[in-house]
Amino acid sequence: MSRKISFNCPVQAGDEDRYRIQMGPQHPATHGVLRVDLDLDGEIIRKCNPHVGYLHRGFEKLAEHRTYVQNLVLTDRLDYMAAMANNVGYCEAVEKLLAIEVPQRSRYLRTMVCEMARLASHLLWLATHALDIGAMTVFLYCFREREELLEIFAELCGSRLTNTYTRLGGVRQDVTHSIMMKLEKFVDSFPSNLEEYETLIDTNRIWLKRTIDVGTVGADEAVGLCLTGASLRGSGVDYDIRKHFPYAAYDFMDFEVPLGETGDTYARYRCRIEEMLQSNSILRQCIERMPPGPIIGDDAPDLIMPNKPGRKVEVDVPAQQSLIKLVEDRETFMEGDVYVATEVPKGELGFYFVSDGNGTPYRMHIRSPSFLHISALKTMAKGSMLADLIAIIGTLDVVLGECDR
Amino acid sequence: MKIQYKPKRDLLETIIHLEILQGLALTLKKLFSKPITREYPGEMPPVYPGFRGQHALVRDPVSGTSKCIACLRCSQACPARCIRVKYHIDESNGSRIVDNYEIEALRCVYCGYCVEVCPVNAVTMTDIFEYSSTDRQSLHFDKERLLENWDHFTKSDSYERQSYVNPLWRPRGFPKSRLTASSRESVPKNRKIEKQFTGTKLGIKKNNKEAGGYNNLYPTHGEKNAH
Repeated sequence: MSRKISFNCPVQAGDEDRYRIQMGPQHPATHGVLRVDLDLDGEIIRKCNPHVGYLHRGFEKLAEHRTYVQNLVLTDRLDYMAAMANNVGYCEAVEKLLAIEVPQRSRYLRTMVCEMARLASHLLWLATHALDIGAMTVFLYCFREREELLEIFAELCGSRLTNTYTRLGGVRQDVTHSIMMKLEKFVDSFPSNLEEYETLIDTNRIWLKRTIDVGTVGADEAVGLCLTGASLRGSGVDYDIRKHFPYAAYDFMDFEVPLGETGDTYARYRCRIEEMLQSNSILRQCIERMPPGPIIGDDAPDLIMPNKPGRKVEVDVPAQQSLIKLVEDRETFMEGDVYVATEVPKGELGFYFVSDGNGTPYRMHIRSPSFLHISALKTMAKGSMLADLIAIIGTLDVVLGECDR
Repeated sequence: MKIQYKPKRDLLETIIHLEILQGLALTLKKLFSKPITREYPGEMPPVYPGFRGQHALVRDPVSGTSKCIACLRCSQACPARCIRVKYHIDESNGSRIVDNYEIEALRCVYCGYCVEVCPVNAVTMTDIFEYSSTDRQSLHFDKERLLENWDHFTKSDSYERQSYVNPLWRPRGFPKSRLTASSRESVPKNRKIEKQFTGTKLGIKKNNKEAGGYNNLYPTHGEKNAH
């Protein structure tokens, strides 16, 4: 007696041998809450369909009801591995919109925290990528360095993860000598620590077998898939916003952009390792060349921004205290739209604002690299083995907080 | 810059599993090194000045109650909209008197904006981070609770070390014009102000001037302040 199996989804003729599995959303290798719909033929992926939206918090809508200063807090929660880089990207965009000038010292400070965030993010990427593939020890060692960076963040701005460090027109706080001593110590010891990771996995035969010729993307295809960051540079495309469209103080820095050739997982891994060394050298330059001066511009907006242009935020205060005259007199906001992209550890993070002249953005769009990288998963995973999907998700370096936002 | 690859291993290295032995040697070496982990409940992590922890209302030593003047700046600046202030106006001199000051700690995002905008240092964030609870009501701080938080904080060790000077109240490197002058008087007069950190190799010029694009984001700044 034969019994016909009924599927929920219609199965095309000839596809009865395939079976469909759902990977995630609680799978530990999906870096958060990603669900991947897989059509398998044996162990080979015939069709891969990523589903996102499990971490959707509606930031773009929330931003329409908050002032530009208040929206800065939302950007911490985008890519929580490198909140500093998001803060900088947001502030660069709003400063272009409102035409705010930034002092030189705070531009250097922004560059410094951006690179610290890049190191912190890449270390966590290396840790989890290696853990997914099966190398447990690297995971433990990477967190040792990441912890040092987070301690520095905590001393700098009072919080380890959700930093809110930048301000429109500058940064929140100045660095102290003890912070810079710690950072200098970290910068000195980092290359030798990086060698330890390389000893563990760089030539390890299991690592090589799991990464070489896995998830290969050619240069043209990578551009077509909207890959950015190290995922793109692994394929040999020379595109780095820090180098080609410099923001903050990157045009004062000497660094190189590492480029791969083969476009496989191993090339992307090498790219990110080399990038960490370059970040380290940028950090050293920041420490050596830190200029004196104020950290926030004189025309920087107050933390309390008016919702409407020309509206004065005026608060009457008891006369006998005679403390404060709280008047905010930013008369006009610029109308129009602006797009500014910055190079965050994951790739190109762009903020697009449409302003109708009010104190709140009419529309804020976030071009998040993780979202576009996940959509590339469909093409990259097709035809590879099921176990390689884990390596491909890892190598794209996605974080779902930024993808769903 | 092209990335560098390590040379391929030869036959001998393949047979003796050289790279795996090197990895094992590293882990064996680490077995005898000093542990870097922290035994948390016994050993507390370091808390630095300016830490954004539990909220508190500063108790004024003169009047015995909070210093809040109900200017409502904190509730205006709050991105999470978790601060509510109730007040009434004293008819005799026209001053505002705070009836209740509420912070919902569960909605708070710990950005510290309220601390920064407060003109009289009334609201602050303490170094305390261990105050989780199993019910919502105990994390809905009212005025009395916030004053209690302050008393609790002043008894702790970190209070004595910092002597109530939170650097966020007078942020380092801020221009004077952006601070409200007489308001921050709780900072002691004899507080040592650290010299600003500067690099040792100043005077390096911009290296790629012709780079366009977003470079003109700061149109006048490069020439004016180049060091």
